[in-house]
Amino acid sequence: MFKDLDPILHSQLRLAVISLLIGVKEAEFTFIKEKTNSTAGNLSVQIQKLKDAGYIEVEKQFKDNYPLTTCSITKQGIEAFEKYVKALQGYLHTNKK
Amino acid sequence: MNNEKQLSEAESLELITSMIQKVKASYHESGTSAILWGVVVALASFLVYASITFDFTLPIEPFWLVFIAIVPQVYFSIKENKINKVKKLEDAAIDTVWLVYGLSILLLVMYANIAPAISEKFAKQEGWQLIKHYTNGSKADEKIPPFIPSIYSLYILLYTFPTMITGIVKKFKPMIIGGIVSYVLFIVSCYTTFQYDMLIGTVVAIICWLIPGLILRAKYLKQRKSSNV
Repeated sequence: MFKDLDPILHSQLRLAVISLLIGVKEAEFTFIKEKTNSTAGNLSVQIQKLKDAGYIEVEKQFKDNYPLTTCSITKQGIEAFEKYVKALQGYLHTNKK
Repeated sequence: MNNEKQLSEAESLELITSMIQKVKASYHESGTSAILWGVVVALASFLVYASITFDFTLPIEPFWLVFIAIVPQVYFSIKENKINKVKKLEDAAIDTVWLVYGLSILLLVMYANIAPAISEKFAKQEGWQLIKHYTNGSKADEKIPPFIPSIYSLYILLYTFPTMITGIVKKFKPMIIGGIVSYVLFIVSCYTTFQYDMLIGTVVAIICWLIPGLILRAKYLKQRKSSNV
């Protein structure tokens, strides 16, 4: 049914992460965790997968002696997201007919 | 959130929409910077107006207040950036606009202070000077230094610039209205003396920053109160 959909994006948590990042310049890991209602471990794994695919950039630094991870979407990630949404719209359009 | 859950098309779109909405709802602007900037510029402009109207000398140049206000402005900006765990694209762009605005104000102050003195120097080199001549002969001619006519109108125009951009980009009506009224006041200031330009500048600072800042502050406190309940 969804064979044309990007498998990297077609997963609940990864899609949620990309949807959060699409409209922002950057977001902190804790923000993404809070908004997606996910566990730190699971989120870390999914973020790594998105990073490996080249869809997001992850920057690790320290703020007030605490580690701070910031994520931002890449150009490749934006293109993949746009393609994914277009494909979804195509499916919905086909189903309506 | 379960990563492996198989999503339907509708669920996927719903998830995308809900995440975008969550980002929209997550950003809070406290309005502190706008209030501070509005108060300082309004106060400085009004002090100059009052000193001309009531003929007294100010102990310090009031626009030093504007420079002094830049320090807490930077502090609040860093503090707000720390509170907000997410930075929107539009905010990054608006920050740049305000940075360029700050730099432009600084350079305009420089221009207002340097250009007349340099013009006087050039005039001297060419062997001429500016003379104030009363056409009705009521007073004797007097030598005056070169000046930039209605310089504060330029400041008013510059004050409006970042306000309009912020208002339009953020779809924040109080700033759009403030910007439009300020453009009208800029035109009015072209027809008034320096003294009244300063009064107009006071009004511009109030409508461009102080009032929108107070509205933002009220919204921010309301949001904070509701999220604490």
